[in-house]
Amino acid sequence: MTGFRMGRRGLALASAGVLAAPGLARAQAPVVKLGILQPVTGALSQDGEYGRLGAELAINEINAGGGIRALGGARIETVFGDARSNPEGGVAEVEKMQAEGVLAVVGGFASPICLAASQAASRYELPYVVDVGVSDQIVSRGLTNTFRFGPGFGVVTQTALDNLVALNDAAGKPSRTVVIVHEDGLFGSGMARLLNAELPKRGFEVLETLAHPTPARDMNNVALRIRALRPDLVIPSSYYAEFVLLSRTMQQQRIRPKGVYCILNGAASNYRFVREFPDAANLVMDCNHWPDPRKPKTAELRRAVEAQNRFWLYNVPLNYSAMMLVADALERAGRADRAALTTALAATDGAFTKHIMPYGPTRFVNGQNQAGAPVNTQVQGGDIKVIFPRDFADAQPVYPVTG
Amino acid sequence: MRAILAFAAVVAVVPLLVSSNVALNFLVFTMIIALAAQGWNLLGGYGGQYSFGHAAFFGTGAYLTAILQVRFGLNSYPAFAAGIALAALVGLAIGSLAFRSGLKGSYFALVTLAFAEVFRVLANAAQVTGGAAGILIRLQQDPANFQFAERGTFLWVAGTMVTLALMATLALERSRLGAQLVAVRENEAAAQALGVDVLAVKLRTITLSAAMTGAAGGLYAQYFLYLDANIAYGTWISVEALLAPIVGGAGTVFGPVLGAVLLHAIAEATRMIAGRIPGIDLVAFGIVLILVVRFPPRDIPGLLRRWRR
Repeated sequence: MTGFRMGRRGLALASAGVLAAPGLARAQAPVVKLGILQPVTGALSQDGEYGRLGAELAINEINAGGGIRALGGARIETVFGDARSNPEGGVAEVEKMQAEGVLAVVGGFASPICLAASQAASRYELPYVVDVGVSDQIVSRGLTNTFRFGPGFGVVTQTALDNLVALNDAAGKPSRTVVIVHEDGLFGSGMARLLNAELPKRGFEVLETLAHPTPARDMNNVALRIRALRPDLVIPSSYYAEFVLLSRTMQQQRIRPKGVYCILNGAASNYRFVREFPDAANLVMDCNHWPDPRKPKTAELRRAVEAQNRFWLYNVPLNYSAMMLVADALERAGRADRAALTTALAATDGAFTKHIMPYGPTRFVNGQNQAGAPVNTQVQGGDIKVIFPRDFADAQPVYPVTG
Repeated sequence: MRAILAFAAVVAVVPLLVSSNVALNFLVFTMIIALAAQGWNLLGGYGGQYSFGHAAFFGTGAYLTAILQVRFGLNSYPAFAAGIALAALVGLAIGSLAFRSGLKGSYFALVTLAFAEVFRVLANAAQVTGGAAGILIRLQQDPANFQFAERGTFLWVAGTMVTLALMATLALERSRLGAQLVAVRENEAAAQALGVDVLAVKLRTITLSAAMTGAAGGLYAQYFLYLDANIAYGTWISVEALLAPIVGGAGTVFGPVLGAVLLHAIAEATRMIAGRIPGIDLVAFGIVLILVVRFPPRDIPGLLRRWRR
């Protein structure tokens, strides 16, 4: 038995040697290694794949444009790590990336992965740029290596509630009663608690809070309850499959509230949902991450993604922008050094314009980009349109929904 | 006993020889799983009471270790000890309810699974556990805080815990309780007829089993410093805790350690060889499992004995 295991280990080492050999040969040309950490197996694999796609598109673009100029045109070489949809997987991959000598890590997607992986990276003062993970704990731990370009949970929910009030007021306050539907897991319960506390302060009455498990096979009971309660608004916090199921069930049962208003929803800002179930998706609103429709690069990137027969999900622009941020910081750092890169990342300002998010001038405080903000989207006629903030919205909100 | 000392010696030496944090991190995680699995092995392997819900104990140990530090400012070591104690108490409570009602076999398995799920839902909703946002232990790398700058040091701690668990298992195997436990596993009615207090035997075992798995939970909390309900009480740990002994040899002293190391080593090796294909390690994991279950005697020591013949 021991012989068998030794043999396997030997084989693994030999294989690693063979794989590493071309890398040694290439080491003559200047190369900067950057880690992409995404969960591409397990429950979060769809998000992980799209996050990886976004980061890789950015790297391809940087390399095609002559690499990192400040480092003698160094090419970016990716070290990809599969976080396997759990924190242990994230930590294990950060250790591997450290062993490979990466200069920074981008990604993580889910908050638990981001929390554990950025902490593992902090042992080596390895800069870590969070792509999505919205937990506010990520940037409140005093870790100097951790940066988040996008908004956190607090900012997103605050914006979502403010925009909901603005939307309702502008339409003459047609909605007063709300039913909250949430998944009983990681983020749905927290969101439901927050909404239950905040909505009454803003003049809404929460008729009922309906929880459902993930995965859920049937949403008929939830839909029937909504029908019986007849709320003006339905606010769902669910993952992709469950929200799709809920929307379809509501459509089948002809339940038509004045609005379906989602916050950080897994499906409402997802072109897969819009393409596959256009009728159920129509006029659903969401407050979520979304790229800036005014920037020409956004449309260009979207075309590149759709040319690969992939959907346009927010993971792509977020990871594209996070990777561009690292490249920009490398240009300013002027040397392939982690400490210099960390300092450069922290000093990022409005001069960083290569991202495609609708944020104001970048400014990091304790690793959090103060300009990071969500936008409100609405599915209109088979497309996802930005309805808030008004200064760059590309459509008027359709609210209240009639008919 | 010699084998246990040899294991302890290997664990003691590895951090001195291996400098790769990738390998050390892998070994620490495997040791945590092995400890959780050793707990399952006492109840499931020796006692024949198959639990599908050891997450209930893992999560309790993990959460109390974290909560006492974060919410009540207690030092990590007493928090860790309290975590183990509460896990043992939860074991005793679940055992009392299930065994007094005479639940056996698949019914016992389902009840333990149900308890773990109830705990998961409660932990996800409660304020004290941090709810859906989870609970984060502050990073303060200092041995006084049960946090170590070197992964090798943590491997020593985890290895020592596994060694203690192995010794406890060996002591149990050789004790009167161990003999009674095996008698209960083989034929409960016959054991009872011979004067074995079946309920007391089962309750003592589930308490000890829960304490071991709870210790694994506490170690997890101290190592990764973050918990949420799906990590602490998720089905993943219940499955890990029972797979390792089943593959490595249920009801043997070294079965859980062997199973945990082998399953995780195969997964890691596959990733090293064919790492570009996502999920390939899970495929290898699955194949090993199918092979072990398909060809009886259904564990690695059994297969070895067959090969030797």
